[in-house]
Amino acid sequence: MKNISKYWLCQIVGWGSNIAISLFFVFTLGRYQGVYVLSLVLTCAAGLLITHLMRIHIHKLKVMSMRIKRQVIYFIVLTVLYAIVFGVASEFIDYAVGYMPSEKMQSYSRGVRILLSTFNGLWVLLIWNFIYFLYHYVETNRKQELNNLKLEATVKSLELKTIKSHINPHFIFNALNSIRALVDENPVRARRAITELSNILRSSMSAEKEETVPLKQELNLVSDYLQLEQMRFEERLKVEMNVEEDTLQHPFPPMMLQMLVENGIKHGISKQIKGGVIKIQAKYIADKLQLTVTNTGILQHNGRSVQEGGFGLKSTTDRLHLLYNDEARFEIKELKEGEVESTIIIPRTTPINS
Amino acid sequence: MYKVVIIDDERLARNELKKLLAEFPELEVVAEAANADEGIEKIGSHNPDLIFLDIQMPGKTGFDMLAELDKVPTVIFTTAYDEYALKAFEVNALDYLMKPIEPSRLADAIHKMEAAHEEELESSAVSGLRTTLTEDDQVFVKDGDRCWFVRLADVRLFESVGNYAKVYFGTNKPLILKSLNALEERLEQKTFFRANRKHIVNLRMIDKVEPYFNGGLLLDLLGGEQVEVSRRQAVKFKEMMSL
Repeated sequence: MKNISKYWLCQIVGWGSNIAISLFFVFTLGRYQGVYVLSLVLTCAAGLLITHLMRIHIHKLKVMSMRIKRQVIYFIVLTVLYAIVFGVASEFIDYAVGYMPSEKMQSYSRGVRILLSTFNGLWVLLIWNFIYFLYHYVETNRKQELNNLKLEATVKSLELKTIKSHINPHFIFNALNSIRALVDENPVRARRAITELSNILRSSMSAEKEETVPLKQELNLVSDYLQLEQMRFEERLKVEMNVEEDTLQHPFPPMMLQMLVENGIKHGISKQIKGGVIKIQAKYIADKLQLTVTNTGILQHNGRSVQEGGFGLKSTTDRLHLLYNDEARFEIKELKEGEVESTIIIPRTTPINS
Repeated sequence: MYKVVIIDDERLARNELKKLLAEFPELEVVAEAANADEGIEKIGSHNPDLIFLDIQMPGKTGFDMLAELDKVPTVIFTTAYDEYALKAFEVNALDYLMKPIEPSRLADAIHKMEAAHEEELESSAVSGLRTTLTEDDQVFVKDGDRCWFVRLADVRLFESVGNYAKVYFGTNKPLILKSLNALEERLEQKTFFRANRKHIVNLRMIDKVEPYFNGGLLLDLLGGEQVEVSRRQAVKFKEMMSL
């Protein structure tokens, strides 16, 4: 409703000012004539009607949703078409009310007069269309931008949520199965495994609330996770941790290291019949925290496993970018035959707030 | 007594399953394997009636392992939550159990297996160790992401494509990595007939027989395929059919 009234306001103000300006000139030049005013008002009313018809036409043809080049062509064609209608109408009005503009005009034939009126109308309609077109162009762009921003924000928050809460169900059920086997075989270990599993579930749930946690907390989670995986893989999984003391309080995005370790086991070690080693290292290098996860395995470039890994790896990059802009870095590469290393480097400064 | 082989890469998972299976006196776990290659070896040496098979294993998956077997025993898949495997199960309606395994579901699966076995024993009195594949045997066929258990009785035609063989059944014709000569050696002669160098046909799937050039024959199969019988084989074919 608001848009409609805005349109009519523009129409009335536009044609009204056209009448006002014309009257002003006629008065100042002292060529005031009753018939002229009548003709002027009627012509402007006809103009309003004709431009309104043109607008309906524009809507019908869906010009506004065309590509910009076609839009321009359509506008020009419509302008010319309706200018002719306007010319005929204005000539008819002049004839009907008996208004004769000047002696010079009277010497022309009707056809020429219509042509001249059409030419007059062309300018008016061109201006009219230009305003109409510009308004809509700006409006749609603004709306589109707004929609894009909204969409981007939704995608981002959704992605962050799924990334953070990402604990592989396959892992959870396998762990539960191992625990069930351990209940008879080694009840003490089974009890410990339940504690470890609940720590992991708790961390993954609270991870959604926090932007960062102290690195120490993330390392505790990872070590719980690795203990559970060692329970499953037994002698096939060996773990080496090498963490420098001063890095423990560094703020770190929760579940990020966990996901890299999980990837390393899922795509690396679990594929090896003899198993392998996973190494975790944390240290400062020139004011930046560097975390590396090294695992036995092959960095695959095709097949199914990369797609899944692909999501994890891409989301790590995206998440770091969201938190630290370009100050953080993530990369994964094959070190030598059968060894894959992923590295995260983040600055010492606290992350930007979003 | 049914012989059972358990194939799972995790020792604890195998132990847990053994413990569950102890409730079923009619089952005997004759062997365990920790990966696909070991599994193939154990199946070969024990000829089990039933295997419990994990999908995700190091080296080869459970599906890959089945595709390498000539003859597939009854299989119950065991897996923890795994979207990829679940999709395969849904598509092919295979029997599977989710880890940790629920005892009542395990009992259902075992009873189903027993019922199927009894039926099979009634229909074909022959049992025990045999090396030829009869029409009651099933094979596992894997083609990309799709896989099937196929009873040989449902196979119309094997067609040689290089080192592979194309298996025609239903509306499918996936490739398996087996040569036609190797297949011919294993397949039962009274049902499966080598029509020419490139084709083995299932005699029960023949719709029509017509004479062809050069003293050969042309077979119309029930699926609409046409197979030419070479002259030499045509003599053999007529002999077999006239009996």
